[in-house]
Amino acid sequence: MVMELEYDRSLYGKEHLAGPFDVTTELIQAFTASLSETNPVFIDEAAALAAGYKGLLAPPTFCTVFVSRVKLPDINLDFGKMQVHAGQRVQPRGDIVAGDQVTASSHLKDVYPKTGRSGTMVFVVWETTFRNQHGEVVADVQESFAVKE
Amino acid sequence: MPDFEDVELGDEIGPMETEATDDGVEAFCQVWENRKPNRFTDSESATKVGLPGPIVPGIMAMAIMTRLLTDWAGAGALKDLDVVFRQPVPHHKPLTVTATVTDTRQEDGENLVECDVMLTGAEGERYVGGKAIIALPSSAD
Amino acid sequence: MYLDMHSHSVSSDDSRATVEQYLKWIQVLRKRGNTVDGIVLTEHRKFDAHLDYSSLAEQYNVLVLKGSELDTRFGHFLVYGVTEPLTKELDFADVRMDARELMKAASHHGAFALPAHPGRFGIGLVDYMEQGESFPDVGIVELLNGGSRQGENERASDLCSQHGYLGTGGSDAHLTSHIGTCLTNFEATIATEQDLVEALHFGQFKPVWLQDTQKGAST
Repeated sequence: MVMELEYDRSLYGKEHLAGPFDVTTELIQAFTASLSETNPVFIDEAAALAAGYKGLLAPPTFCTVFVSRVKLPDINLDFGKMQVHAGQRVQPRGDIVAGDQVTASSHLKDVYPKTGRSGTMVFVVWETTFRNQHGEVVADVQESFAVKE
Repeated sequence: MPDFEDVELGDEIGPMETEATDDGVEAFCQVWENRKPNRFTDSESATKVGLPGPIVPGIMAMAIMTRLLTDWAGAGALKDLDVVFRQPVPHHKPLTVTATVTDTRQEDGENLVECDVMLTGAEGERYVGGKAIIALPSSAD
Repeated sequence: MYLDMHSHSVSSDDSRATVEQYLKWIQVLRKRGNTVDGIVLTEHRKFDAHLDYSSLAEQYNVLVLKGSELDTRFGHFLVYGVTEPLTKELDFADVRMDARELMKAASHHGAFALPAHPGRFGIGLVDYMEQGESFPDVGIVELLNGGSRQGENERASDLCSQHGYLGTGGSDAHLTSHIGTCLTNFEATIATEQDLVEALHFGQFKPVWLQDTQKGAST
């Protein structure tokens, strides 16, 4: 019997917005410190300015910390109890520096079943586009989550 | 930073040896502002969902892998990083990031290098694996 | 003839490698003294009937065959020699299909279905057999899988010893540089999917690691 997935299919085509989020020097430095980052342009404002950036530079996957701040709707999937992060894609499109503000726009991309070591799962894929205060796209992020029984 | 012309299929980038500490994960989660308690910073929350202990967030593992690539190619070189989180990443265990060049091409005026990127454990555990696309300068630049 | 019997291209949801990138990587493997004659693309839960890799295959001098890896109630099964009537009889996206029905349907349509990574914890045939399930039509399983974790290929090997199964080898590659890590060494020359099905029935093959294909290695 084919596994019929019950969820809110009306979500396809709808955009969910969040932000603006302030990209501060403190936030970038807290991010890079937690990763033991050593590249000067990511940790020291003077080095970033000397390299030609407009401020302390955020590492290329920095926007991913904002994705979970988008209040995504419950897709009301009639399956499973817990959700884990299964995969992620980040396409940096432009520099993000301290002083910028970014907004996020997310939409549901796909929902499909598969099986693996943890049994039967349903994968839910969301796409998010980040724009800065000038309306320029600075990153595209795709996240997939595995919903497990 | 290498020149595009010097990069060949099969070239290995790295390895970068590192570790995610409890403090590092805690600090990352503060930036991430996720709800507490959670399976990244709290042992009980982790064991409740069948994990042996608190784990490293996927996006933190991804940021760790990015360090190898930006150290090699420069801060602005990463064009695309696409990974699958295959196994939970533990705290306080050796983590190795490596990348293998699998393709080089010129596209839309850019010199692109594609590589497989992997985060593995001391016993060869494949924690995270994926693909990166990097833009490099040419020796003519 | 050395064939990688298990691989995924970007057509599978969790792979990041294109077919051309696999074939370019095989040139790297060949330069290093390995022998890789061909690959079988076994995409997850689908069969790409309309995709034609023949010009790439010719350009890179690598045989490219197409198959599928299907999710079933009893683990994943690799299907070779997929035909259009088979794709009409079974819903390849049905993750709860009965593997025994799959094997019968495949046989009926001149195809061949065998258990993938039978030693894989949580989803291998070994686990289902331990739960009391029986699979009388199984005679060949994937013994060497390049994506296996510690102990899993060993479990598959024990299964083959216990039941007298023959074993194949495949990389289960989802990344370019993982293609060819495990292969199947066939005595026969294979040029088509039907040749492959016949060779499986004929039974003259064994699983190998990439290093076993080094020129001068005796396997």
